[in-house]
Amino acid sequence: MDPTEKLAPIRKGLLEFVILKIVAGDKVYVADMLKLLGPTEFATQEGTLYPLLSKLRREELVDYEWQESDAGPPRKYYKLTAKGRTQLSTLNDYWKNLNRTLAEFGN
Amino acid sequence: MQKVVSISLNGNSYQLEEPGYEQLRAYLERADSRLKDSPDRAEVMADLEQAISEKCRATLSPHKTVVNTVEVERIISEMGPVESPDGKTADAGAEGATASSGASQGFTPPPRKRLYQIREGAMLSGVCNGIAAYLNVDVTWVRLAFVLLTIFTGVWIVVYLVMMCIVPVAYTAEDRAAAFGMPFNTEELISRAKKNFESFGHQYRWRREWRRQQRHWNRQFRHMNEQLRVATANAAPIASGAGRVISGVLVPIAAIVNAVIFVAFILAIFSLVTQHSIFGWDLPHHMPWWVGIVGLALAYSVIASVLRIARHSSHPGSYHPGWGALYGLLWLGSTVLLFWAAYTFFPGVHELVDQLMWAANLTATTISETIV
Repeated sequence: MDPTEKLAPIRKGLLEFVILKIVAGDKVYVADMLKLLGPTEFATQEGTLYPLLSKLRREELVDYEWQESDAGPPRKYYKLTAKGRTQLSTLNDYWKNLNRTLAEFGN
Repeated sequence: MQKVVSISLNGNSYQLEEPGYEQLRAYLERADSRLKDSPDRAEVMADLEQAISEKCRATLSPHKTVVNTVEVERIISEMGPVESPDGKTADAGAEGATASSGASQGFTPPPRKRLYQIREGAMLSGVCNGIAAYLNVDVTWVRLAFVLLTIFTGVWIVVYLVMMCIVPVAYTAEDRAAAFGMPFNTEELISRAKKNFESFGHQYRWRREWRRQQRHWNRQFRHMNEQLRVATANAAPIASGAGRVISGVLVPIAAIVNAVIFVAFILAIFSLVTQHSIFGWDLPHHMPWWVGIVGLALAYSVIASVLRIARHSSHPGSYHPGWGALYGLLWLGSTVLLFWAAYTFFPGVHELVDQLMWAANLTATTISETIV
Protein backbone atom coordinates (compact mmCIF):
# COMPACT_ATOMS: atom_id res chain seq x y z
CA MET A 1 0.00 0.00 0.00
CA ASP A 2 1.34 3.36 -1.04
CA PRO A 3 1.58 5.53 2.10
CA THR A 4 1.34 8.76 0.11
CA GLU A 5 -1.95 7.56 -1.32
CA LYS A 6 -3.33 6.65 2.11
CA LEU A 7 -2.64 10.01 3.65
CA ALA A 8 -3.63 12.07 0.61
CA PRO A 9 -6.85 13.41 2.23
CA ILE A 10 -4.88 14.44 5.31
CA ARG A 11 -2.32 16.29 3.24
CA LYS A 12 -5.13 17.97 1.37
CA GLY A 13 -6.75 19.05 4.62
CA LEU A 14 -3.46 20.30 5.96
CA LEU A 15 -2.82 22.49 2.94
CA GLU A 16 -4.75 25.38 4.43
CA PHE A 17 -2.64 25.14 7.58
CA VAL A 18 0.54 25.07 5.51
CA ILE A 19 -0.53 28.11 3.50
CA LEU A 20 -1.23 30.07 6.69
CA LYS A 21 2.25 29.15 7.88
CA ILE A 22 3.80 30.35 4.63
CA VAL A 23 2.02 33.67 4.50
CA ALA A 24 2.80 34.23 8.18
CA GLY A 25 6.32 35.19 7.13
CA ASP A 26 6.87 37.81 4.48
CA LYS A 27 4.34 38.80 1.82
CA VAL A 28 4.26 36.07 -0.79
CA TYR A 29 3.34 35.80 -4.44
CA VAL A 30 1.48 32.68 -5.54
CA ALA A 31 4.19 31.55 -7.94
CA ASP A 32 6.68 31.73 -5.06
CA MET A 33 4.36 29.74 -2.81
CA LEU A 34 4.17 27.05 -5.46
CA LYS A 35 7.94 27.01 -5.79
CA LEU A 36 8.23 26.70 -2.05
CA LEU A 37 5.75 23.85 -1.87
CA GLY A 38 6.99 22.11 -5.02
CA PRO A 39 9.70 19.91 -3.50
CA THR A 40 7.63 19.08 -0.41
CA GLU A 41 4.81 16.64 0.24
CA PHE A 42 2.43 19.57 -0.16
CA ALA A 43 3.25 20.22 -3.81
CA THR A 44 0.22 21.81 -5.38
CA GLN A 45 -0.94 23.78 -8.38
CA GLU A 46 -2.60 27.07 -9.21
CA GLY A 47 -5.89 25.31 -9.80
CA THR A 48 -5.98 24.36 -6.13
CA LEU A 49 -4.17 27.28 -4.60
CA TYR A 50 -6.13 30.21 -6.02
CA PRO A 51 -9.54 28.96 -4.90
CA LEU A 52 -8.09 28.18 -1.47
CA LEU A 53 -6.53 31.64 -1.11
CA SER A 54 -9.77 33.30 -2.16
CA LYS A 55 -11.59 31.30 0.48
CA LEU A 56 -9.06 32.26 3.15
CA ARG A 57 -9.41 35.87 2.15
CA ARG A 58 -13.19 35.65 2.39
CA GLU A 59 -12.75 34.25 5.89
CA GLU A 60 -10.46 37.22 6.58
CA LEU A 61 -7.52 35.01 7.51
CA VAL A 62 -5.31 36.38 4.75
CA ASP A 63 -5.28 39.54 2.72
CA TYR A 64 -3.37 40.67 -0.32
CA GLU A 65 -1.91 43.83 -1.70
CA TRP A 66 -1.06 44.72 -5.25
CA GLN A 67 2.59 45.15 -6.03
CA GLU A 68 4.13 46.34 -9.26
CA SER A 69 6.34 43.82 -10.99
CA ASP A 70 9.06 44.49 -13.51
CA ALA A 71 7.56 41.94 -15.88
CA GLY A 72 3.92 42.43 -16.66
CA PRO A 73 0.96 43.67 -14.66
CA PRO A 74 0.88 44.14 -10.86
CA ARG A 75 0.78 41.00 -8.75
CA LYS A 76 -1.13 39.99 -5.68
CA TYR A 77 1.07 39.51 -2.65
CA TYR A 78 -0.59 37.65 0.18
CA LYS A 79 -0.07 38.20 3.89
CA LEU A 80 -1.59 37.00 7.13
CA THR A 81 -4.20 39.11 8.95
CA ALA A 82 -4.52 39.44 12.72
CA LYS A 83 -7.43 37.02 12.65
CA GLY A 84 -5.32 34.66 10.59
CA ARG A 85 -2.54 34.83 13.14
CA THR A 86 -4.92 33.79 15.92
CA GLN A 87 -6.24 30.97 13.77
CA LEU A 88 -2.70 29.85 12.96
CA SER A 89 -1.69 29.65 16.60
CA THR A 90 -4.85 27.66 17.40
CA LEU A 91 -4.05 25.28 14.59
CA ASN A 92 -0.43 25.02 15.73
CA ASP A 93 -1.53 24.06 19.23
CA TYR A 94 -3.97 21.53 17.91
CA TRP A 95 -1.36 20.05 15.63
CA LYS A 96 1.07 19.68 18.56
CA ASN A 97 -1.64 17.91 20.53
CA LEU A 98 -2.24 15.56 17.66
CA ASN A 99 1.46 14.79 17.45
CA ARG A 100 1.62 14.18 21.17
CA THR A 101 -1.33 11.82 21.01
CA LEU A 102 0.23 9.96 18.11
CA ALA A 103 3.48 9.66 20.04
CA GLU A 104 1.64 8.33 23.08
CA PHE A 105 0.32 5.44 21.06
CA GLY A 106 3.90 4.41 20.46
CA ASN A 107 5.70 3.55 17.26
CA MET B 1 0.60 25.76 -41.08
CA GLN B 2 -1.65 26.32 -38.12
CA LYS B 3 -4.62 28.58 -37.66
CA VAL B 4 -4.13 31.01 -34.80
CA VAL B 5 -6.72 32.37 -32.40
CA SER B 6 -6.28 35.68 -30.62
CA ILE B 7 -7.40 35.71 -27.02
CA SER B 8 -7.41 38.16 -24.19
CA LEU B 9 -6.38 37.01 -20.72
CA ASN B 10 -7.02 39.53 -17.99
CA GLY B 11 -6.49 42.36 -20.41
CA ASN B 12 -3.51 40.96 -22.31
CA SER B 13 -3.72 39.62 -25.79
CA TYR B 14 -2.15 36.35 -26.85
CA GLN B 15 -2.10 34.29 -29.99
CA LEU B 16 -2.75 30.60 -29.58
CA GLU B 17 -2.76 27.79 -32.07
CA GLU B 18 -6.34 26.70 -32.58
CA PRO B 19 -6.21 23.25 -30.92
CA GLY B 20 -4.44 24.85 -27.97
CA TYR B 21 -7.09 27.52 -27.79
CA GLU B 22 -9.82 24.86 -27.68
CA GLN B 23 -8.09 23.08 -24.83
CA LEU B 24 -7.64 26.27 -22.87
CA ARG B 25 -11.23 27.24 -23.45
CA ALA B 26 -12.36 23.82 -22.22
CA TYR B 27 -10.11 24.14 -19.17
CA LEU B 28 -11.45 27.57 -18.20
CA GLU B 29 -15.01 26.50 -18.86
CA ARG B 30 -14.58 23.52 -16.61
CA ALA B 31 -12.96 25.68 -13.96
CA ASP B 32 -15.85 28.09 -14.16
CA SER B 33 -18.43 25.35 -13.79
CA ARG B 34 -16.55 23.89 -10.82
CA LEU B 35 -16.63 27.27 -9.12
CA LYS B 36 -20.18 28.12 -9.97
CA ASP B 37 -21.33 27.88 -6.36
CA SER B 38 -18.32 29.62 -4.94
CA PRO B 39 -18.67 33.25 -3.88
CA ASP B 40 -15.09 33.76 -5.08
CA ARG B 41 -15.83 32.62 -8.60
CA ALA B 42 -15.04 35.90 -10.36
CA GLU B 43 -11.91 36.49 -8.36
CA VAL B 44 -10.53 33.00 -8.81
CA MET B 45 -11.24 33.08 -12.53
CA ALA B 46 -9.37 36.37 -12.82
CA ASP B 47 -6.47 34.91 -10.82
CA LEU B 48 -6.34 31.86 -13.03
CA GLU B 49 -6.38 33.96 -16.18
CA GLN B 50 -3.62 36.06 -14.74
CA ALA B 51 -1.51 33.01 -13.96
CA ILE B 52 -2.10 31.55 -17.41
CA SER B 53 -1.29 34.90 -18.93
CA GLU B 54 2.06 34.96 -17.14
CA LYS B 55 2.86 31.44 -18.21
CA CYS B 56 1.98 32.31 -21.80
CA ARG B 57 4.19 35.36 -21.71
CA ALA B 58 7.09 33.23 -20.53
CA THR B 59 6.88 31.15 -23.71
CA LEU B 60 7.16 34.16 -26.00
CA SER B 61 10.16 36.00 -27.28
CA PRO B 62 10.72 38.75 -29.85
CA HIS B 63 10.93 36.07 -32.52
CA LYS B 64 8.14 33.90 -31.24
CA THR B 65 4.70 35.47 -31.04
CA VAL B 66 2.44 32.43 -30.92
CA VAL B 67 1.85 30.05 -28.02
CA ASN B 68 1.76 26.60 -29.56
CA THR B 69 -0.46 23.70 -28.59
CA VAL B 70 2.22 21.75 -26.74
CA GLU B 71 2.95 24.81 -24.62
CA VAL B 72 -0.72 25.32 -23.87
CA GLU B 73 -0.99 21.69 -22.82
CA ARG B 74 1.98 22.11 -20.53
CA ILE B 75 0.53 25.28 -19.03
CA ILE B 76 -2.80 23.60 -18.38
CA SER B 77 -1.14 20.64 -16.73
CA GLU B 78 0.92 23.01 -14.58
CA MET B 79 -2.20 24.84 -13.50
CA GLY B 80 -3.84 21.64 -12.39
CA PRO B 81 -7.53 20.91 -11.98
CA VAL B 82 -9.49 23.70 -10.36
CA GLU B 83 -11.08 22.71 -7.09
CA SER B 84 -13.44 24.68 -5.00
CA PRO B 85 -12.19 24.38 -1.40
CA ASP B 86 -15.78 24.58 -0.17
CA GLY B 87 -16.20 20.95 -1.07
CA LYS B 88 -18.69 19.47 -3.51
CA THR B 89 -15.97 18.92 -6.08
CA ALA B 90 -14.44 15.90 -4.44
CA ASP B 91 -14.59 13.74 -7.53
CA ALA B 92 -12.88 10.48 -6.88
CA GLY B 93 -9.26 10.76 -7.77
CA ALA B 94 -9.32 14.36 -8.89
CA GLU B 95 -6.91 15.49 -6.25
CA GLY B 96 -4.63 18.32 -7.17
CA ALA B 97 -2.80 18.44 -3.87
CA THR B 98 -0.89 15.30 -4.61
CA ALA B 99 0.08 16.22 -8.14
CA SER B 100 3.78 15.61 -7.89
CA SER B 101 5.15 18.73 -9.57
CA GLY B 102 5.38 16.87 -12.87
CA ALA B 103 3.57 17.43 -16.09
CA SER B 104 3.15 13.70 -16.55
CA GLN B 105 0.50 13.72 -13.85
CA GLY B 106 -1.72 15.53 -16.32
CA PHE B 107 -4.46 17.92 -15.39
CA THR B 108 -7.40 15.82 -16.50
CA PRO B 109 -9.14 14.10 -13.67
CA PRO B 110 -9.83 10.48 -14.57
CA PRO B 111 -12.21 10.62 -17.51
CA ARG B 112 -15.55 11.85 -16.29
CA LYS B 113 -18.25 10.88 -18.68
CA ARG B 114 -20.10 13.81 -20.10
CA LEU B 115 -22.72 14.29 -22.71
CA TYR B 116 -21.25 15.82 -25.82
CA GLN B 117 -22.17 16.16 -29.43
CA ILE B 118 -19.72 14.17 -31.47
CA ARG B 119 -19.37 15.48 -35.00
CA GLU B 120 -17.27 12.59 -36.29
CA GLY B 121 -19.56 10.20 -38.11
CA ALA B 122 -22.57 12.32 -37.25
CA MET B 123 -25.62 12.39 -39.47
CA LEU B 124 -26.99 15.73 -38.38
CA SER B 125 -25.26 17.34 -35.47
CA GLY B 126 -23.89 14.44 -33.50
CA VAL B 127 -26.44 14.47 -30.70
CA CYS B 128 -27.33 10.81 -31.18
CA ASN B 129 -23.67 9.99 -31.56
CA GLY B 130 -22.94 11.66 -28.24
CA ILE B 131 -25.81 9.91 -26.49
CA ALA B 132 -24.65 6.59 -27.89
CA ALA B 133 -21.14 7.21 -26.59
CA TYR B 134 -22.56 8.26 -23.27
CA LEU B 135 -24.83 5.23 -22.93
CA ASN B 136 -22.25 3.00 -24.54
CA VAL B 137 -24.66 1.57 -27.10
CA ASP B 138 -24.63 1.42 -30.87
CA VAL B 139 -25.57 4.74 -32.44
CA THR B 140 -28.11 3.07 -34.73
CA TRP B 141 -30.34 2.22 -31.78
CA VAL B 142 -30.26 5.76 -30.49
CA ARG B 143 -31.15 7.12 -33.93
CA LEU B 144 -33.93 4.59 -34.28
CA ALA B 145 -35.29 5.53 -30.85
CA PHE B 146 -35.22 9.19 -31.76
CA VAL B 147 -36.97 8.63 -35.06
CA LEU B 148 -39.65 6.42 -33.51
CA LEU B 149 -40.23 8.83 -30.64
CA THR B 150 -40.48 11.65 -33.12
CA ILE B 151 -43.04 9.75 -35.11
CA PHE B 152 -45.25 9.00 -32.17
CA THR B 153 -44.80 12.23 -30.27
CA GLY B 154 -43.80 15.10 -32.50
CA VAL B 155 -42.12 17.00 -29.67
CA TRP B 156 -39.02 14.83 -29.87
CA ILE B 157 -37.81 16.72 -32.88
CA VAL B 158 -37.88 19.77 -30.64
CA VAL B 159 -35.97 17.85 -27.98
CA TYR B 160 -33.34 17.09 -30.59
CA LEU B 161 -33.12 20.70 -31.68
CA VAL B 162 -32.83 21.89 -28.10
CA MET B 163 -30.09 19.36 -27.41
CA MET B 164 -28.35 20.53 -30.57
CA CYS B 165 -28.20 23.98 -29.02
CA ILE B 166 -27.31 23.20 -25.44
CA VAL B 167 -25.18 20.08 -25.50
CA PRO B 168 -21.56 21.12 -25.94
CA VAL B 169 -19.68 19.87 -28.96
CA ALA B 170 -16.66 17.69 -28.32
CA TYR B 171 -13.96 19.70 -30.05
CA THR B 172 -10.83 18.43 -28.39
CA ALA B 173 -9.55 14.93 -27.99
CA GLU B 174 -9.98 15.45 -24.28
CA ASP B 175 -13.67 16.33 -24.68
CA ARG B 176 -14.13 13.26 -26.78
CA ALA B 177 -12.50 11.16 -24.10
CA ALA B 178 -14.86 12.69 -21.57
CA ALA B 179 -17.78 11.91 -23.84
CA PHE B 180 -17.04 8.23 -23.37
CA GLY B 181 -16.07 8.23 -19.65
CA MET B 182 -18.27 9.49 -16.41
CA PRO B 183 -21.61 9.60 -14.69
CA PHE B 184 -23.39 12.36 -16.49
CA ASN B 185 -23.53 15.54 -14.48
CA THR B 186 -26.85 17.20 -15.12
CA GLU B 187 -25.97 20.20 -13.01
CA GLU B 188 -23.07 21.04 -15.20
CA LEU B 189 -25.08 20.60 -18.34
CA ILE B 190 -27.78 22.91 -17.08
CA SER B 191 -25.33 25.53 -15.96
CA ARG B 192 -23.60 25.35 -19.30
CA ALA B 193 -26.88 25.65 -21.12
CA LYS B 194 -27.78 28.63 -18.99
CA LYS B 195 -24.47 30.21 -19.74
CA ASN B 196 -24.77 29.67 -23.46
CA PHE B 197 -28.23 31.09 -23.37
CA GLU B 198 -27.08 34.09 -21.40
CA SER B 199 -24.23 34.86 -23.72
CA PHE B 200 -26.52 34.44 -26.66
CA GLY B 201 -28.87 36.93 -25.08
CA HIS B 202 -26.06 39.33 -24.36
CA GLN B 203 -24.77 39.17 -27.84
CA TYR B 204 -27.91 39.75 -29.75
CA ARG B 205 -30.35 41.31 -27.31
CA TRP B 206 -32.92 39.32 -29.16
CA ARG B 207 -34.83 38.27 -26.08
CA ARG B 208 -35.83 41.75 -25.07
CA GLU B 209 -36.65 42.56 -28.65
CA TRP B 210 -38.76 39.44 -28.91
CA ARG B 211 -40.69 40.19 -25.72
CA ARG B 212 -41.38 43.69 -26.88
CA GLN B 213 -42.68 42.38 -30.17
CA GLN B 214 -44.79 39.85 -28.34
CA ARG B 215 -46.37 42.48 -26.13
CA HIS B 216 -47.16 44.48 -29.22
CA TRP B 217 -48.86 41.53 -30.86
CA ASN B 218 -50.78 40.75 -27.71
CA ARG B 219 -52.09 44.28 -27.55
CA GLN B 220 -53.13 44.21 -31.16
CA PHE B 221 -54.81 40.88 -30.77
CA ARG B 222 -56.74 42.00 -27.70
CA HIS B 223 -57.84 45.13 -29.46
CA MET B 224 -59.03 43.17 -32.48
CA ASN B 225 -60.83 40.71 -30.26
CA GLU B 226 -62.61 43.50 -28.46
CA GLN B 227 -63.79 45.05 -31.70
CA LEU B 228 -64.98 41.74 -32.98
CA ARG B 229 -66.92 41.06 -29.81
CA VAL B 230 -68.68 44.37 -30.09
CA ALA B 231 -69.44 43.76 -33.74
CA THR B 232 -70.79 40.26 -33.19
CA ALA B 233 -72.70 41.16 -30.03
CA ASN B 234 -75.74 42.16 -32.04
CA ALA B 235 -75.82 39.13 -34.24
CA ALA B 236 -74.80 36.89 -31.37
CA PRO B 237 -77.82 34.61 -31.05
CA ILE B 238 -77.79 33.55 -34.69
CA ALA B 239 -74.01 33.47 -35.07
CA SER B 240 -73.37 31.42 -31.95
CA GLY B 241 -76.13 29.01 -32.85
CA ALA B 242 -74.70 28.46 -36.29
CA GLY B 243 -71.21 28.24 -34.80
CA ARG B 244 -72.26 25.54 -32.40
CA VAL B 245 -73.83 23.47 -35.14
CA ILE B 246 -70.75 23.78 -37.33
CA SER B 247 -68.39 22.91 -34.50
CA GLY B 248 -70.55 20.01 -33.49
CA VAL B 249 -70.25 18.58 -36.98
CA LEU B 250 -66.55 19.36 -37.27
CA VAL B 251 -65.33 17.68 -34.10
CA PRO B 252 -65.92 14.09 -35.21
CA ILE B 253 -64.71 14.88 -38.74
CA ALA B 254 -61.54 16.31 -37.27
CA ALA B 255 -60.99 13.14 -35.29
CA ILE B 256 -61.43 10.98 -38.39
CA VAL B 257 -59.14 13.14 -40.51
CA ASN B 258 -56.61 13.05 -37.74
CA ALA B 259 -56.64 9.27 -37.74
CA VAL B 260 -56.38 9.12 -41.53
CA ILE B 261 -53.42 11.47 -41.53
CA PHE B 262 -51.73 9.40 -38.87
CA VAL B 263 -52.17 6.20 -40.89
CA ALA B 264 -50.95 7.97 -44.03
CA PHE B 265 -47.94 9.17 -42.11
CA ILE B 266 -47.07 5.71 -40.88
CA LEU B 267 -47.44 4.30 -44.40
CA ALA B 268 -45.29 7.10 -45.77
CA ILE B 269 -42.55 6.26 -43.29
CA PHE B 270 -42.87 2.61 -44.21
CA SER B 271 -42.56 3.30 -47.91
CA LEU B 272 -39.67 5.63 -47.27
CA VAL B 273 -37.77 3.01 -45.34
CA THR B 274 -38.50 0.15 -47.73
CA GLN B 275 -38.35 1.91 -51.10
CA HIS B 276 -36.54 5.14 -50.21
CA SER B 277 -39.37 7.11 -51.75
CA ILE B 278 -42.65 8.44 -50.46
CA PHE B 279 -45.37 6.64 -52.39
CA GLY B 280 -43.31 6.65 -55.55
CA TRP B 281 -42.29 10.25 -55.13
CA ASP B 282 -38.52 10.28 -55.02
CA LEU B 283 -36.65 12.41 -52.54
CA PRO B 284 -34.60 15.27 -54.00
CA HIS B 285 -31.22 14.19 -55.23
CA HIS B 286 -28.55 13.46 -52.60
CA MET B 287 -31.05 13.65 -49.77
CA PRO B 288 -30.59 10.62 -47.54
CA TRP B 289 -33.80 8.78 -46.66
CA TRP B 290 -33.56 9.52 -42.96
CA VAL B 291 -33.76 13.23 -43.71
CA GLY B 292 -37.01 12.42 -45.41
CA ILE B 293 -38.19 10.74 -42.23
CA VAL B 294 -37.30 13.76 -40.15
CA GLY B 295 -39.07 15.97 -42.68
CA LEU B 296 -42.13 13.75 -42.60
CA ALA B 297 -42.16 13.76 -38.81
CA LEU B 298 -41.91 17.51 -38.83
CA ALA B 299 -44.71 17.85 -41.36
CA TYR B 300 -46.84 15.45 -39.36
CA SER B 301 -46.29 17.27 -36.09
CA VAL B 302 -47.17 20.56 -37.77
CA ILE B 303 -50.35 19.14 -39.27
CA ALA B 304 -51.22 17.40 -36.02
CA SER B 305 -50.75 20.56 -33.99
CA VAL B 306 -52.89 22.52 -36.44
CA LEU B 307 -55.53 19.82 -36.07
CA ARG B 308 -55.32 20.02 -32.32
CA ILE B 309 -55.77 23.76 -32.37
CA ALA B 310 -58.71 23.41 -34.70
CA ARG B 311 -60.30 20.79 -32.49
CA HIS B 312 -59.80 22.76 -29.32
CA SER B 313 -61.07 25.94 -30.79
CA SER B 314 -64.13 24.30 -32.27
CA HIS B 315 -64.92 22.85 -28.89
CA PRO B 316 -67.97 24.83 -27.83
CA GLY B 317 -67.52 26.84 -24.68
CA SER B 318 -63.77 27.19 -24.59
CA TYR B 319 -63.70 29.95 -27.16
CA HIS B 320 -66.23 32.17 -28.73
CA PRO B 321 -68.21 29.76 -30.91
CA GLY B 322 -67.91 32.11 -33.86
CA TRP B 323 -64.16 31.77 -33.69
CA GLY B 324 -64.38 28.04 -33.42
CA ALA B 325 -66.47 27.82 -36.53
CA LEU B 326 -64.11 30.12 -38.39
CA TYR B 327 -61.03 28.13 -37.39
CA GLY B 328 -62.79 24.90 -38.15
CA LEU B 329 -63.85 26.02 -41.61
CA LEU B 330 -60.39 27.37 -42.34
CA TRP B 331 -58.84 24.15 -41.25
CA LEU B 332 -61.29 21.97 -43.15
CA GLY B 333 -60.78 24.06 -46.25
CA SER B 334 -57.03 23.83 -46.12
CA THR B 335 -57.11 20.12 -45.40
CA VAL B 336 -59.41 19.44 -48.33
CA LEU B 337 -57.23 21.60 -50.54
CA LEU B 338 -54.08 19.81 -49.41
CA PHE B 339 -55.67 16.45 -49.89
CA TRP B 340 -56.93 17.35 -53.32
CA ALA B 341 -53.48 18.63 -54.32
CA ALA B 342 -51.83 15.48 -53.04
CA TYR B 343 -54.39 13.29 -54.76
CA THR B 344 -53.95 15.06 -58.06
CA PHE B 345 -50.21 15.61 -58.18
CA PHE B 346 -48.79 12.54 -56.52
CA PRO B 347 -49.76 9.26 -58.15
CA GLY B 348 -48.59 7.59 -54.95
CA VAL B 349 -51.23 9.32 -52.90
CA HIS B 350 -53.78 8.30 -55.50
CA GLU B 351 -52.71 4.71 -55.10
CA LEU B 352 -52.66 5.01 -51.35
CA VAL B 353 -56.21 6.26 -51.27
CA ASP B 354 -57.26 3.43 -53.53
CA GLN B 355 -55.49 0.96 -51.28
CA LEU B 356 -57.06 2.48 -48.20
CA MET B 357 -60.47 2.27 -49.83
CA TRP B 358 -59.81 -1.30 -50.71
CA ALA B 359 -58.66 -2.09 -47.17
CA ALA B 360 -61.68 -0.32 -45.73
CA ASN B 361 -63.93 -2.25 -48.06
CA LEU B 362 -62.31 -5.49 -47.07
CA THR B 363 -62.69 -4.71 -43.38
CA ALA B 364 -66.31 -3.74 -43.88
CA THR B 365 -67.05 -6.96 -45.78
CA THR B 366 -65.32 -9.06 -43.15
CA ILE B 367 -67.22 -7.37 -40.37
CA SER B 368 -70.58 -7.72 -42.13
CA GLU B 369 -69.80 -11.36 -42.90
CA THR B 370 -68.98 -12.15 -39.30
CA ILE B 371 -72.11 -10.43 -38.13
CA VAL B 372 -74.26 -12.23 -40.65
